[in-house]
Amino acid sequence: MDMKANLRVFISSIFLQMKQSFGRSMFRFCMIVYPILYGFTLYMIYMDSSNETIINYVMFGTAVASLWGTISFSSAGDIDRERFMGSLEVIFNSPTSFFLIMFGKVVGNTILGTLSMLISIFFVSIAFSIPIIIVDLSKFILVFIIGLSSFIGIAMMLSGLLAVSRSTRIFMNILDYPMMILSGVAFPISLLPSSLIPISYSLAPTHFLLLIRMCISGIDNLHLFYIHLGYLIGLTTIYGILSCFLYRIIDIKAREKATLGVI
Amino acid sequence: MRIKSDLKGGFMKVIEVIDLKRVYNSKIGIFNKKSVATQALKGISFSVEKGEVFGLLGPNGAGKTTTIKILTTMLLPTSGKVTILGNDVSKATNKIRPRINFIFGGERSLYWRLSAYENLRYFSDLYKIDIKTQRKVIPELLELVGLSEKAHHKVETFSKGMKQRLQIARGLINKPEILFLDEPTIGLDPASAIELRKIIKNLVSKGTTILITTHYMQEAEELCDRVSIISDGQILAIGETSNLIKENGKKTLEDLYLKVVGDGYEG
Repeated sequence: MDMKANLRVFISSIFLQMKQSFGRSMFRFCMIVYPILYGFTLYMIYMDSSNETIINYVMFGTAVASLWGTISFSSAGDIDRERFMGSLEVIFNSPTSFFLIMFGKVVGNTILGTLSMLISIFFVSIAFSIPIIIVDLSKFILVFIIGLSSFIGIAMMLSGLLAVSRSTRIFMNILDYPMMILSGVAFPISLLPSSLIPISYSLAPTHFLLLIRMCISGIDNLHLFYIHLGYLIGLTTIYGILSCFLYRIIDIKAREKATLGVI
Repeated sequence: MRIKSDLKGGFMKVIEVIDLKRVYNSKIGIFNKKSVATQALKGISFSVEKGEVFGLLGPNGAGKTTTIKILTTMLLPTSGKVTILGNDVSKATNKIRPRINFIFGGERSLYWRLSAYENLRYFSDLYKIDIKTQRKVIPELLELVGLSEKAHHKVETFSKGMKQRLQIARGLINKPEILFLDEPTIGLDPASAIELRKIIKNLVSKGTTILITTHYMQEAEELCDRVSIISDGQILAIGETSNLIKENGKKTLEDLYLKVVGDGYEG
């Protein structure tokens, strides 16, 4: 009974989130228009490069940037929106696990984020006549699924932090572009100053992009592929564990610090 | 209407508050930030019996909302003991939350981009109400608050009063044993406020316990079996509404309130 009820909460949170998010014009802009503008900008930079480079950096760079924007950034920001709407206190105080509700909402945004990613890919492909070539499709799908889980983990961590601290919002905004720069969305991380490269490798999106690019071009070094896959799985697991831990302490911290409502 | 418990000679206490204190810590300033502690509740004690309507009255900033938030498990007390239906609010939230609900005044706490029906369906899911019951209860609640015809309209198209009425329906979705109402009639037109008072009386006749805060003294006098007047985080007066008025030689609760809260207000 409880399992069934929890599943219903999870599914209804997904649909609620999709309706709520898509109802916001800013979200629609981030989901539909932003990938087109970003894809166009990157294409202008890379237009003289090979098709493979364009697929790697324009098509999938834009796609991952869109995914990052809609899943991690929007999901975390939703906590703030719910706080100002007054619904955060209501959902927090319901008999359902707050983690489960937020997980449903993040998955709802993930579905929209994936659509945004597809919009980016098809826009670049159609507008600039770039064929979509993925040499190792099965591994690409595997990496994509693990990558999505990783983004969900990041979104859960950020939303958890936002529930206990209002100032997280500021750090989230500050981190938005550095995250994209450090993970190599628009250019190879080898171009970054060497001191920043260890930070890049500590971020799951970096490994996600490296793996995706390997799958697109064909995997020459299987050992290297598995190393990055190991990193991606490891970091995703860490994000998952941290999210669970955060949501465990939220029940005490949010009630102690009164961060759920607008005072 | 108060319901006697099985306890010999007493009434069943469903809310018990003993020496409750709550401090908010905040920071002020931009560059030279300073921590500021505000004591919102300075050791209040009261209890509410099953089936009773208990009014928490006081000026803005008196600590009414803080009290309600602690009683509904939204906030932790800094010190003191609070039990709801025999369960400690600090520890037993899982036992308390399914059995209570709350309605805060104003237009918030709803999803504006969803319809009234969708809102109630979502909150029913959160309270783990099965689909069969939802199909029966949601139309009944919409009928109760006069929103049946607007069931499938988006909340963002609703007037302030309609949103407030939808909040009332949301607060009743799990048939709570205790309902906390924080200024529930704020912004309602007189007819809707009368309607809400009827709903409250109906709930009480069925055994629901109500804790209400309001700035409308006539409303409190009409509804509350007992009232507590608080100011600056302290209880200044508490007792049965009619007795409290008589004992203080006043004609109405409003006169009493003005006397208790401050002579400066008294006409």
